[in-house]
This record gives sequence, C-alpha cells and structure tokens, in this order.
Amino acid sequence: MAQTETSINIPQLLAVALVGFFAIRWYLNKPPPSSGGSNSSSGSSRGRAVDPAQVAQISAMFPQLDRRSIAWDLHRNGGNVAATSERILTGRGLDNPPPSYQPPLPAQPTEQRSSVAPSAAAGQPDLITRYGLQSRISDKGKEPVRNEEQKRSAWTSDKAARAEGLKKRREDMILEARRKMMEKDAGRA
Amino acid sequence: MNSVASKRLFQEYKHLTTDPPEGITAGPVNEDDLFLWEAMIQGPEGTPYEGGVFPAELKFPKDYPLMPPTMKFQCDIWHPNVYANGVVCISILHPPGDDPNHYEQASERWSPIQSVEKILISVMSMIAEPNDESPANVDAARMWRERRSEFDSRVKADVRKSLGL
Repeated sequence: MAQTETSINIPQLLAVALVGFFAIRWYLNKPPPSSGGSNSSSGSSRGRAVDPAQVAQISAMFPQLDRRSIAWDLHRNGGNVAATSERILTGRGLDNPPPSYQPPLPAQPTEQRSSVAPSAAAGQPDLITRYGLQSRISDKGKEPVRNEEQKRSAWTSDKAARAEGLKKRREDMILEARRKMMEKDAGRA
Repeated sequence: MNSVASKRLFQEYKHLTTDPPEGITAGPVNEDDLFLWEAMIQGPEGTPYEGGVFPAELKFPKDYPLMPPTMKFQCDIWHPNVYANGVVCISILHPPGDDPNHYEQASERWSPIQSVEKILISVMSMIAEPNDESPANVDAARMWRERRSEFDSRVKADVRKSLGL
C-alpha cells in the first residue's frame, strides 16, 4: 500500500517541479513588458519619445541624413533640435543608432517609394520591341489585313507549324492594333 | 506528357487555336512545356483600354485542372485589379472552395469545369469593368474612383506607348 503511494508520488513530484520551473521562468521573463505594458506603445517608459515633427524638421534641413540617426540623436539629447542641428553643422556627424532602435517614424520614405514604383514599373519595353517587330512596321499600314479564314484555321499535326502559327497570330494582333491606332490618328488629323 | 494536366492543356490549346474567342490569342510559349502559356488580350472596345493588346503569362500547376493557374501581365497595365508587378487578382483564379472571408461565391472561384478560355474572357471583362471592392492596385483604384478622366488618359497613354506610337 505504502509502496504504491510512493510510486505515484515520484512522477507527481517531478511534474510539480517541472511546472514550477516553467512558472518561475515565465514569471522572470514577464516583468519588463508587463510593467511597461500600460504605456509601452508611446515608448515613454524608456527615456522620452522622439517627436516625429522634430525629426521631419531636421530631415527637411538635411535630407541626405538617415532619419533614424536623427531620431537617435534627438532621443539622446532629449529632443533638442538646436543641439542636433548644431552638431550636424559643426561637421561632427551623427552616430549610427543601434539596430534595436526603431523609432516610430512617419512613413515619408515609403510614400516616396510608392509614388516612384509605378514609374519604375513603367520600364517595360513596348510590344514592338518585345516581339522584335521593328522590321515589320517600316512599311506603314501596308500589312495585309488578315481575313477570318486565317484567323481561325490552322490546327496542324506538325508541332513546328503550330508554334509558327501561334507566333504569327500574336504578331498580327499587335501589328493590327498598331495599324488601327495609326489610322485613327490619321483620321483625327 | 501523359499526365492528365498535359492532356487537358493540349486539348485546351487545340480548342483555342481552332475556335478562338474574339480578341484573344493563347498558347504555350513552347510546346515542350505545356505548363507555361502566353496569352494576348485585346483591350475591350468602349473602354480606355480599347486598341491595346496586353500580353500575359499563365503558369499552370502540376495538378491542373484541380488548381488554377496564375496570370501575370507582361506589360504596364494600370488597373485596380492588377498588381503593380502585373499579377492579376480575379476570383476565377482563386483556388476552389469557399472564400474564408465569405467575400466570393464558391461558384465564382476556380473549379475544374472552368478553362483557360473562361479565365481569359473573365479577365477581359474585368479589364472593362474593374471591381474596386478588393483592389490589387490601391492607387489605381483610387484614381479610377475619384479622378476618372485622369485614369482614362493614363491608360490611353500606356496603350499608345505599348504599341510604339
């Protein structure tokens, strides 16, 4: 009877020890975020928060500087814009912030990027270049108009002929679109 | 070459060659790889895209037709439902089953009874009638909604540029 009791108690003791260990570990890891939890979003619990307006102010004067470096310097001198500008002007330069320093800066750089993105994407070559049709647009408007027959015929058992047919239909589509557009322009002029 | 997917893609290619829908040309880039296609879609008439030709790449998964292909335009196309990188966002290209957000009907989404032809026709009508409820290109969607004339002239300029004019 006593023996069965002890054999049950050893695993139980182990389990309690394990749970206790994790509970203590959890408790020791927990405090920093939970103590700052009430106002951690503002960041004011750790030193003072950098005013994004001040960062923008200096960034406007010295656009070549990294905004994070500016924020870091302001963070360290207590938000003194004059001191930071003075420091930059005297050529001492700004220190690189530690990688962990990620101030909540407004999205000016991303804004720039999004306005640049469409024009960067606009670098696609036109269809004439893409399909190598330069040689076929020299005799303007002289492209024979394909008829319905040609359009929907052509399923051959020859693989190469099929590929050729598909290529031709693609190119004709582009050339015809171009020809029509030019006709429209001519009609308007 | 003997897989279900290849057979089906070959069949669809044949059908699209012999009886192509108006304004659409499509087929494999190279018949040795039936899982990569190139399609050309004409800009629908009566829209700013009219007169344009828009090439797109279709990539099919190995388990096609159970799963849908992806489609990516190979040209600049300023459209609320096309991402800046050219990827098309349309319900027929979404995997089968119900939308977890209950946004789309299961019937609108991909299923094996759909086809390349149906995708291309759907994309053509999407070009004509953007759906600005779930825009892929937020800037284009905003311009389409708020500054339609600017949107139209931008699209028309892109079309002319694409034709080398």
